[in-house]
Parts: sequence; structure tokens; C-alpha cells
Amino acid sequence: MCNVMLPLFNQRTVYKNPATMSAPPGATAKDSRRLRRIIAEDPDWHLSLVPCLSNLCLQSIVRNIEEKPMFEDLSPVHKDLVQETLSTSLPLHVTANLISDGVYWKRCCEQRWDICDLAHYGHSWKRMFLERHMENVIELFIPGVTEPKTVLEMVPLCKNHVKRLDISQLLPPIKEPQKEEEEEEEEDGSKLASDNEYDGPSMDHFDFNILLNKLTQLEELHLVYRVKQCGMNFEWKMFEMTDRDCESLAKALMSCKTLKLLKLHQSHIEDTKCRLLVKYLLDHPSLRELDFSHNLIGDKGARAIGKLLTRSKLETLNMCDNNIRGPGAKAIAHALSVNSTLLSLNLRLNCLRDEGGQAIGKALLNNNTLLHLHLGANQVSGPTAIALSQALVQNNTLKSINLSCNNLGVDGGIALGEAMSHNTSVTECDIRLTEVDEQSASSIGQVVWTNQSSEQKRHARQSETK
Amino acid sequence: MEEVDVDQEEESEASVLSGNQEATSMVPAQEFEVNPATEAREELDEDLDEEPAPESQPPEQEAEGSEKLIAPQRMISMQRDLTTLVTNIQTAADAKESMRRTELEEARRMRLERLENDVKSSQETFQEITRGWSAAKQKEVPQDLQEALNNQQQLCAAIIEDNKKLIKDLQQEMKAGDDRFVKDLRKQEEELNLLIERMENQIKTLTEAYREELAQISRVYQLESEVLLTKDKAEWEQRIKELCEEELGRSTQWKKKVEEYDAKFQNHMLETIDKDVYNQTKQNMKFQVLERHHQQKKTGKIITVLKLVKPKVEVPVQRLNLNRMKKRAVRLHIEIRNLRTKSSSENKQYTKKSQHLLEEYKHNIQQYEHIQKNIKHFAAADARQFEEMWLMMDAEVKQLVERVLVIDSLICKEHLGLAWERPPMEFMELSGPIQAQKRARMPARQGVSQLFHTGQNLQCSQRMMDLSVGPRPEADTEGMDKDMYKEGKTTQSESGAEVEEGKQSVETLKKVMELLCDEAGFLMEDKLLNLLAPLEKDEQTVLKLGSLLCSFGIEEEDVPKLAEFLLKHKHQQRDETEVRRGRDEDVCVESGESSNKEEDVKTSELINPNHILPALKSFLERHMRSRESSASQSHSFHVEAWDTSGDEAYWESMGNIISEDKVKLWDAAENTLKQYLAVLTEISELVPETQSLEQQNAELRMLLQQSLN
Repeated sequence: MCNVMLPLFNQRTVYKNPATMSAPPGATAKDSRRLRRIIAEDPDWHLSLVPCLSNLCLQSIVRNIEEKPMFEDLSPVHKDLVQETLSTSLPLHVTANLISDGVYWKRCCEQRWDICDLAHYGHSWKRMFLERHMENVIELFIPGVTEPKTVLEMVPLCKNHVKRLDISQLLPPIKEPQKEEEEEEEEDGSKLASDNEYDGPSMDHFDFNILLNKLTQLEELHLVYRVKQCGMNFEWKMFEMTDRDCESLAKALMSCKTLKLLKLHQSHIEDTKCRLLVKYLLDHPSLRELDFSHNLIGDKGARAIGKLLTRSKLETLNMCDNNIRGPGAKAIAHALSVNSTLLSLNLRLNCLRDEGGQAIGKALLNNNTLLHLHLGANQVSGPTAIALSQALVQNNTLKSINLSCNNLGVDGGIALGEAMSHNTSVTECDIRLTEVDEQSASSIGQVVWTNQSSEQKRHARQSETK
Repeated sequence: MEEVDVDQEEESEASVLSGNQEATSMVPAQEFEVNPATEAREELDEDLDEEPAPESQPPEQEAEGSEKLIAPQRMISMQRDLTTLVTNIQTAADAKESMRRTELEEARRMRLERLENDVKSSQETFQEITRGWSAAKQKEVPQDLQEALNNQQQLCAAIIEDNKKLIKDLQQEMKAGDDRFVKDLRKQEEELNLLIERMENQIKTLTEAYREELAQISRVYQLESEVLLTKDKAEWEQRIKELCEEELGRSTQWKKKVEEYDAKFQNHMLETIDKDVYNQTKQNMKFQVLERHHQQKKTGKIITVLKLVKPKVEVPVQRLNLNRMKKRAVRLHIEIRNLRTKSSSENKQYTKKSQHLLEEYKHNIQQYEHIQKNIKHFAAADARQFEEMWLMMDAEVKQLVERVLVIDSLICKEHLGLAWERPPMEFMELSGPIQAQKRARMPARQGVSQLFHTGQNLQCSQRMMDLSVGPRPEADTEGMDKDMYKEGKTTQSESGAEVEEGKQSVETLKKVMELLCDEAGFLMEDKLLNLLAPLEKDEQTVLKLGSLLCSFGIEEEDVPKLAEFLLKHKHQQRDETEVRRGRDEDVCVESGESSNKEEDVKTSELINPNHILPALKSFLERHMRSRESSASQSHSFHVEAWDTSGDEAYWESMGNIISEDKVKLWDAAENTLKQYLAVLTEISELVPETQSLEQQNAELRMLLQQSLN
């Protein structure tokens, strides 16, 4: 408080000075005219020039917040003032646990990033700042060079706010000690790195084991094992996940009990890695959404995924653009016939062929939870269409089905059209580029249209009743 | 490598159909040929074409008004169509990608086949060459050899050429692939741009459409509201006009009526007022005349009367009246003053008095309290005195009784020479109600310890008695509380049987208590047992029993009862009909020495240790019941609780210790003794005579001898 009081005294003496100077000693109280003249003598003096004591205090608090953190005790009005005046360059360990969500964090975010979409972060500026800061730290983490401490130091500051981590790159290790400026990107740094990568066999990335079990609020994790802006230092290895990476990630995922969504894109996951990941995710208590799109998962991996479907409570599974063929699709279809939680299944751009397509069609006969099914670009043909149409006649839960870019043929189209006329639930049916004749396509479109409008009416009625 | 490349590219997820693939959208009406880049313009045009259509529709809808329901459907269809337009690109890219993959697979298969074929053919030529070598070796003519060699060379060259060609082809293929990849990349870029463009377009059109719809809706609503407003306004104005007119008509009517009535009223009023005024004036005139007459007469009368009375009465009456009044007033004043002083003094007196009385009252109350205290004190003192007196008397009487008994025994034994039996002496044990009460107040433990101590004392005393048989002095007793045992000792000193009995009872009691201690030992706390360990056995048992009894809520008074009960319990269990002996004194006395042994036998098998616990339990139950019933009485003041009926019997029993027969016998003995005494006195009287005679005789004899000598 001494710090606070000192300037006050100074100011006070300054303002008193004209008074004591002008008033002759001994005749202060008696001569009221002279007293009144004090103000006149100093033409700049005005009551409004004197700052409020509270403002001075607040300024002092803001100046000395590092030594004497003080925020929660203030009244709401003063808090706003502090939030607006506090320097954004303060170290995070001072502010993270002290300043609540508000203008200060907004200023921090806007200073650091151009685009700030608050809707993605639960309308919390603080969460946005901490999450993005954490992501930045991880994305610039270089194994072997950066100390794991730099990440771990963040944990106690962020763990109550970080709910999602969207990590868009993970740097491989370098053995060159001179490389220091990571912030200026890999333009020149990764040249050296790429030179060294040949002799350095270890390509392991950041170890999530040390982090994930400490983030108690984490719900979403998006991961891509790749390097952004690698330029001419392109290396295939930069876009791969190593076996050890996979294992450590799998263990870390198991230890993170709150995780709901896992996205692992374009990380060169093959069957073995997929199986390893699934092995550790089998009994995960909270995982609801899994996205392995744009990887190299084949039939064995698909079989593992099928096992995961029978054991866990997954609601959304995205396996698009992998290498799943008939046997793998059969495994998934079998799981689908048993599973009762999955709502959405995406198998786009795989190679199921009729073997897998028919299996899934049969599985749909026994499933009444799946809402969305995407079988686009899977080289399925007529028989699959017929199997699916059999399912569509019985199944009244499926809402959207996508069969685009498959050579279903005229017969398949007719079968589908026939089935759709008995169905009342499908509101989306994509049969573009499927060689279906126009008549059945239009009839399907008609059914979809009526289903849509009826559903809308239902919605309207529901909202009315509410 | 290309595959992975493609994987890379998949991110963009966009590629437009190459060639003439048709993107058949779900709604057949919107079906366009998607030829990339150049066709994009067309599509945009189409989009633009689409746009005016909805724009042209709204006015119609506005006009129709009722067709508002169609609007949302149109919006939905527009939304869907535009989305399909955008997603068309994606699906087309997907299709292309899958196509490309199949092509790639096919190409790979072809390549493999070709390589295999190549391997086969080269193998064949190689075999030919090797065969050629063997043939060449057989050749002996150099020209032939040369030829063969040339041939071989040619074959080798052919193989090499083949391979080179293959390599070249493959390289070309690779190059083509690279080119294609680059082309694909470009195409994808274009597609991406197109996609973005379309998305933007979609957003634009949709926002426009939404805005329009909003505007339209608001316009419709506005129109509607305007129409309604104007309608309402017109109606309102009309109504107001009607109302005004009506009001106007009414007001004019009202005015007319008012005027009419006014006129009527005025006429009427004028008429009535005129009449009234006329009549009134007439009557007034009459009245005034009459009044004037009357007053004239009255005044005349009064004047005459006054003239008559005036001279007579006027002066003295007035004076007298005044004096009297004055005096009276003065007197009354004085009286009032006196009364006031009196009242004030009296008031003072009363307050003084009341204070005095109050003090007196307080004093009295204090006195009363003091007296009450005194009363209490005296009551207590009286009670104490009474108690002391009682005890003293009791002791005295008991001494007397003892003396009487001693005398009786002396009489019996020495005078009459008969065997003497001790009469029944329960009261000696009881020794009146006071002691019972006192003992009840004594804590149980003390009682028990006392029991043991006295037991030991008894034993010692008996031992001492064995050494020196005779009456023990009463002085070495142990105090008031132990009166009972003191008495017991005195009696014991007089009769061996009595002593034996007492000791037995105490010993049995002790044994029973020890048994109880051992059996009920589990009820004690371990700590207590540990603490007690170093003490002597007797003390241990004393302490244990004390704590046990405390916890049972049994008082010392009840200890013998308990022992008795335990014994009885045993007996009952053994045989109900068996004569109850136990501690019963009479029986002991009767059985005398012989019962002593029997008693010993009993104590050894007094009671089966296993039965102690149930016995104890039942005793406690019974005991508690009796305690509860007696508890209410025991609280009352002990002086009041004094049972006088018992006293009489008690004293009487003391008095009747010597029965009437004995009294007779005593009388007889007295008589005989008196006679005997008389004889003895006679004899005693005669003794000096005889002595003097003897002396005389001796003197005489002396004289005789002297004379003889």
C-alpha cells in the first residue's frame, strides 16, 4: 500500500502548494477573501483536474500487479477499469489465474491474432487466448530442442480453460543446435533440419503423454502430424506419424478421461497404428466422436475399428478416404448390426465394392440408431443398391444416405426408387453420378421432398407446442 | 509416390469433372454440364438466370398475398439447389478421384504385366544366347565363330535395347504422370476457386433472397397493417362522426328543453312568490299590532308592581345579603385551607406509616425466614438428638438386657443349677430403625469392606477368645456403624454357639461374595483388574465387589439379601421341599454345633458357580422392582417416616426378654435369696459376737494359763 499512497501524498502537496504560498502565515482562517483568491491565482487549477483517489489506487494496482496481484477484491466497476488498462504484455503466469474472462483477454486476443471467432470458443475470450496460446506452444515445440517444461509450465495456468486443442502441425526433431528462431518458421531452419534428418533416425514428435492427463477439461483434440510451410524442404517423413508417436499418443489418449472428440487427419496411419490406437481407446469412458479421415487404414485396421464400435459408445465415426475394402467393410457392418449408439458413419472414398456394400445393407436391417450414412465413391454397384433398398423399406430411422459416384446402374436406381416409396424417414438421398435413370431419380427426389416437408411441419408443430 | 501426392491433394477435396461426365443433380431440372473453368461462366449465368426468377416471383406473391406459404418452400428449394450446385464440385471430384484410382490400379496392373512379359522375353533371349555360346564353342571355323559371335552380340544388343526401351517408356510414363499431377494440381486449384466462387455466390444469392423475403414479408405485413389501419381509421372516423352528430342533436334537444322548463319554472315561481309575499305581509301586520298591545299592557303591570315593592325591600335586603355572602366566602376559604393542610399532613403521615409498615413487613419476613431456618435447624437437631437418644437408650437397654441375661444365666446356673439357654434375640441384630437407615445411607463399598473387616475381626476375636475365655471389654469396638457386630461380639463372648453362628454367616457371605467376584469378573474393566493386581486377595475382592455392586446399583444393605438369594436359588434348584437353612439364625442356633459342620459342607458347595449368573440376574430384576416400589417412600423426611408401631414391639421385645415365668422364678429366687440374705445378715451380725466371744475365750484361756503358771 505504500506504493499506492506515496504518489497520492505527492499530488496532494502539489495541489496545496498554491494555497500555502499565497496565504500569509497567521491570517489564513480570518481572511476569507484571500482564501477565495487562492483558486484565482492558479488559473489552471480546477476540481476536475484532481483525479479520484480510487483511480489513483487502481493505476497503482495496475502498475504493480506483478508484485502484488490484486483483482478479485475489487468492485465490478473497478475490475472493468483494470481490465481495460492492464498491459497485454504481462507474463501469463501472473494473469492466467488472476484475471477473469473479460475485456483484458479480448485485448490480448485481438492484439495477437487478426481473426478471432468467439463462437468457436464458447464465447469466452480467456478460453480462446489460452487455447490458442497452448496450441502455439505445442505447434512450435521441437523435440530435443524445446524443453518439455515450457509446455508443462502452461498446464497449471490453462488446465481449467482448455477444452479443445486444434493442433495443425507437429515439428519433427532436429539435431542442429544452432537453429533457434522457430518463430520465423522453417524457411531456413528446416533446410538444416532436412539435411540432418537423413542421419537422425528418430523422427518422434511431441510426446502427448506428459500433457493430456493433466488437462482435466479437455474434450476435443484435433491432431495432424505434418509440417506447415515446409517449402522446398519437403520430406515424406514430415507427414508421417512414427510408431513411437503412435504408442505414446495412444497411451496419452487413454489417460485423458474427459476426451469426447478425436480427430487424427492425414497422419499416415496404417493398419498397425490404427490397431494400436484402437487398442488403447477400446474402453475409453467418454469418447463419442472419432475421425480418422485421409489416412491409409486398410482391412485390418477396419476390423479393429469394428471391434471398437462394439465396445465403445461412439456416436460419430468418420473413416473417409482410407483404404478399406470388402473384408474391412464386413467387419464394420457386423459391428453396426450389434451397435446401438452410432449415429453417423462416413466411409467416403474407400473401396468397399459390392462385397462391403451388401454387408452394410444387411447390417442396416438390424440397426435402428444410425441416422447418417455416407457410402460415396466406393465402387459399389447394383447389388448394393438392392441390398440397401431392402434395408430402406424396413428401416425408418435413417435420415440421410449418400451413394454418389457409384455405378449403381439403372436396376439399382429402380430398386432404390421402389424402396423409397415405402420410406418416410429419409430426408436426404444423394445419388449424383450414379448412372441412375431419370425417372427413378425424380421419384426418389419426390419422396425426399415430401419427407422433408413433412419433417418441417413436424418441427413447426413442435416449436409451436413449445 | 503419386498416390501419396494425391492424398495430399485430397485436402482440397475439390476437383471438377474432366471430360464429359455429367453431374446429375437430384432435381433434374437443374442439370448442367460441368466443363471446368470455361463453363464456370455459364453456370454463373445460370445462377444469375436463376436469380431473376425468384425476383420476378415476389411481386406476384405480394399481389396474391395468400400465397405466403409458398415462400418458405421456395427458399428451401433454393437453398438445396444452391448447395447441390456447390457440392456437385465435390462429388465430381470424388468421382474423378475414384476413377483415377481405378485407372491407376489398371495402369499398375498393366505395367506389372508388361514387366513380366519383358522378363519372360528377355529370359528367352538370354537362354538363346547361352545356347548360342555352347554352339559357338563347337564352331571351329573362325568365320563361323565370328558369325556366331556377331549373332550373339546382336541378341545381347536386342535385349539391351528392349530394356532401354522399357526404361524409356516407364520414364515417359512417369513424366506423363508428373505432368498430369501438375495439371491435376492446376485443375484442382481452378476447381477450388470455382468452389469458392460458387459458395460466395450462394451466400450472396441466399442473403439477397433472405433479405428480399424479409423485405417482402415486412412489406406484406406493412401493407396488411396499412390496410387494416386505414380500414380501422375510416371506421373510427365514421363512428366518431355519427357519435358527434348524435351528441349534437341531443345537446340541442337538451338546450331546448332546458329553455322551456326555465320559462315554465320562472312563471310558476313568480306567481307563487307574489302570492306568498302578499299573505305574509298581511299576517305580519296583524301580528305586530297584537304584540304591541300585549307589550303595552305588560309594561303597565310591571311598573305598578315595581312601584309598590321598591321602597320596602330594596336597601336592607341587599346589604344583608352582601355581608352574609362575604362572611360565608371567607369562612369557606379558611375551611378549605385548613382542609388542605390537614390533607397534606395526613398524606405525609400515611406515606411515613406505609414506609414504616413496609420495613416492618420486611423485618417480619426476615424474622419468619429466620424462624423457619431455626425450625429446620431444630428439627434436624431434634432428629439428631432423638437419634442419639434412641441410640443411647438402645445401647443402654441392650446393656441392661445383657445384664439381665447375665443375671438370668447366673441365676439359672448358679442359683438354680439349671442349664441356661439364650432366648431368641433378633432385635439385638436389628437394633431399631435408626441404624437400618444409617446403614442404608452408607455406600455399598464401605459396607462390603466393613463386612470383610468385621469378618476378620470376628475371626481374631474368636481366636482371642480361644486363648482367654471371658467377657471382652466393650470399649474396643469400632464405632457406631458397627454396632451390630459389636453386639454380636458381646453376645459371642457370652455364648459360644452365638459366636459360631455369626462367624459362619459372615464366612459364607464372604465366600459367596468371592464366588460372585470370580464369576462376574468379566463385567469388570481390564484396567481396573490390572490396577488391582498388586493388592492382596482380600482387598482385591473388596474393591471388585465394590465396583460390581456399584454398577449393579446394589447397596450394602442388600448384600446379605443377595447372598441369601443366591443360596436360596441354589437350594431351590436342588430341591424345593428341602428345609431351608442357609443363614437362618434360628436354624443355626437350633442345630448348634452340629450344624456347624453341615454349614461348612454347604459353603464348599454353596452354589454351583455356573448358576451364579442366572441367579444374579433374577436377583437384580427382583431387586430393582422392590427398589422402585420403596424408592418413593425413602425420600420422605426420616422423622416422619419413623415407624412407631415397630418401636413399641421393639421395646416390648426388649422388655419381654425375661418372660413372666422367669419373673416368677426370679421372684421366687429373690425371696429365697432375701431369706438367705436375712440368714446371712443374721449370721454376719452374729459373727462379731462370736468373735468377741472367741476373743474373750482366748483372753480367758490366756489368763487361765497365766494363773496356772
